[in-house]
Amino acid sequence: MGNIFKKLSIGVVVGGVLVGIMRSQEVPSDFQVLFFTFSLIGAVVFVLLDASPIGGMSGGKSVVAVTIFWVLLITVCIAGASLLPQFDPEDERAKIDKLLGKERAASQKGKAEELIARAKALDEQVRALEERLKGLGRGQAASTSQTPPTTDKPSSTAGASSGASGDFMKVGEEQWQLQECYNCHKLRGEGGKKRGPELDNIGSLLTVEEIHQKIYDPKSIMAEGYEKEYQKGIMPDKFKDLMEPKEMQALAAWLGTFKNTSVNTPKPIKKK
Amino acid sequence: MKKLSSGLLTLIVLFSLCVAATGVYAQEVGPSSVELPYTGNRTAVWVVAQLHILFAAFILGAPIFVVISEWLGYRKQDPRYDRLAKEITKVTVILFSMTAVTGGLFIFVLLAAYPQFTTSFINQFYMVFAVFYPALFIAETILMYAYLYTWDVWKGEKKGRHIALGVLLNLVCLLILFVINGPTSFMNTPPKAEGISPQDFILTATLWDKIANQSWFPLSLHRIDGNVAFGGFIAGMIAAYMYMGAKTQEERAYYDWMGFAAIWIAVGGSLLQPFTGLLLAYEMCDYDFSFCPYMMADQLSMFFEMQGMMIGLLFLAVNYYSWLSVKRIEGAENVRMTILAPIVLVVLLPITMWVMNKYWIPDPMSLAFLLPLTLSPFLLSRFVPKTVSARTVIKIGFIVMLVSDAVWLTPGGFVATGTDVPDELKLPEGWDYLSSMPAKLSAILTLVFVTVVNYVLYNRTIKQGTILWGKIDFVSQFVLIFLAFISTWTMGLMGAVRSLLKKYFHTYSLVSDLSAESFTPTLSYSAWWITAITIFFIAIVSVAALVALRPAVSRARELERSPIPVAAK
Repeated sequence: MGNIFKKLSIGVVVGGVLVGIMRSQEVPSDFQVLFFTFSLIGAVVFVLLDASPIGGMSGGKSVVAVTIFWVLLITVCIAGASLLPQFDPEDERAKIDKLLGKERAASQKGKAEELIARAKALDEQVRALEERLKGLGRGQAASTSQTPPTTDKPSSTAGASSGASGDFMKVGEEQWQLQECYNCHKLRGEGGKKRGPELDNIGSLLTVEEIHQKIYDPKSIMAEGYEKEYQKGIMPDKFKDLMEPKEMQALAAWLGTFKNTSVNTPKPIKKK
Repeated sequence: MKKLSSGLLTLIVLFSLCVAATGVYAQEVGPSSVELPYTGNRTAVWVVAQLHILFAAFILGAPIFVVISEWLGYRKQDPRYDRLAKEITKVTVILFSMTAVTGGLFIFVLLAAYPQFTTSFINQFYMVFAVFYPALFIAETILMYAYLYTWDVWKGEKKGRHIALGVLLNLVCLLILFVINGPTSFMNTPPKAEGISPQDFILTATLWDKIANQSWFPLSLHRIDGNVAFGGFIAGMIAAYMYMGAKTQEERAYYDWMGFAAIWIAVGGSLLQPFTGLLLAYEMCDYDFSFCPYMMADQLSMFFEMQGMMIGLLFLAVNYYSWLSVKRIEGAENVRMTILAPIVLVVLLPITMWVMNKYWIPDPMSLAFLLPLTLSPFLLSRFVPKTVSARTVIKIGFIVMLVSDAVWLTPGGFVATGTDVPDELKLPEGWDYLSSMPAKLSAILTLVFVTVVNYVLYNRTIKQGTILWGKIDFVSQFVLIFLAFISTWTMGLMGAVRSLLKKYFHTYSLVSDLSAESFTPTLSYSAWWITAITIFFIAIVSVAALVALRPAVSRARELERSPIPVAAK
């Protein structure tokens, strides 16, 4: 028992020292808790290392012990995962609704139109058959003309968006959020992990057409100092497939408005 | 008569109208035909697929494990290896049917939940699903049963033939793994070409283009060593159950040994896992860099925090088992090791972090620093006479492991999104190197190195001392169960991550998932399901082990109670 207290005390002291150092460096409290917990886990590990062996169990006793152990494991796993910060699916859901909105609507509309078309075709068949029955009833050889089902294909142009009516710049800003450009680029002091250049002054260095070209074909322009990232092709070549031309133009136009010369946006080098 | 015929015709028309209308409804309305209760479609597919993968991983991994064991038994003339191999094969055969059942269920659920996507997906891989996979599965079934039923026939001089059959079985298993990983990896990284839309490119792509996509090979590699490790950990759990139920010292000695052998084969696979996993992540990020922040900084960042926690626990548990094993070796206290070992253990993490920051992968300069450092305790020990006890080295190893775990678990920010990390949750400058990828890789390397040093020490202890089989601390059996649970849970977690990487697509960038469920679930929600899957899987494996192994043990006990004269046998 003395051994357990001794080791746990060492764990608490080590944890306390770590917390003290972190506090003095203004490291957030969550990290202090993490490191303190690790010191305690360390103490528990060393208690286990020097613990006396436990006697064997068999039969019902071992079944009960294993069951309790299972419950403990399950609790630790679920509690551990639940205690960590959770991503709010609603954030993503709202984005996905916008990204897939047109595709979903087209899919629903297509399905509804196809249903109506099939119902119409069946209605025609019923009428034709009724005519035929009437003809048979009059004892006349009816000249049946089977009406082929009308395949009223849904008009592909019907779903043309009227996005132009909205605020063009707002569409651009929305695309910045939807395509998660902030994951690599810093803008207005937000986002970015140094994977891509900070863009607050991009409007002074590139025209809207050039920004559009860069989004459309990431290999067309390279940012100075980002040679490795350019070589690796870090910027995905997929936005032309994910965005509609108007959306890409809006994003380029919106980015073109950023002309903050106090931010050191790297010099673009044309490659194509 | 006319009225009757007219009425009949009207009925037929009405009936056909109803059937047609139901057909139309069943096929077309909504994103899918069926809304699965309680779970929803996406979770139902995930749960069944993950269960199938766990059973499949075991039946594909266990044969590798089994043949290695059989071969070791043949080479060392140690019948325990042969018994271990045979017992695990018996369990594998039972779980083989579970794999088929869950596989069939998976297709049914997929077809019910996403009929249009499933049909188009099957069309993409028609030859795989209709020809290669069934043919290989049938071949595997025949070979698996032949392997089990020829065990007692092909022994002695014919043992080589039996091992060859096992190797052939493994070749077919590997082929299945590579073949089925084609469609699986295709969903994450379908082939593409610069300047052409994925939809256009896929129209001209051959079956081979689709199979040999960018993540196919690394995924297969990761799954091969994962399956070996998984097979080993599950065999360890079976050994623990049997040890707990053992009535005689002989049985305890055998199942103690079985747990030991299973764990060390599992550790062999586990040591490779972080590196093949890293290769897979590297290829995924190379395919589309947006995967990287999604995994490490954004929606899935806390999934990786949890992964770090589980793997840290796994390494601690493996080394704790090794410690308990050393404790029961008579003469272990006399085993010593060069002082270079603890020195390298202590300096490895900071030096690796410095090297990795300076020469990041794939710069070979990192190897120029790290290889001599890690090999020095083994190569230079003869020139350094000072030694320390094995127990001290192992204890220092534990401290290093705890520090490495802490580094692995330190996130850039305690938030599950990389968008806006408030300062009060973010690592300040000067500390942020702890959350960098070089730091994480250094922590993994250190954990692997500590385990290798412990393995070397353990082997040295076995050679110099006397191992008392059946006398291991009973706690070790709980460690074996713990390892099986942790490895299964981690597989479930990483399975969820791989699948979620497709984001709101069924096939990334090709086929959108238009259902309302195509978002990233919370870690907590996922953990509940992963735990449920793990419990179900382990319960089935436990029952299979009891069904396959208890009768053999009981028969052996009965034979012991009524010994038959040798001449009569």
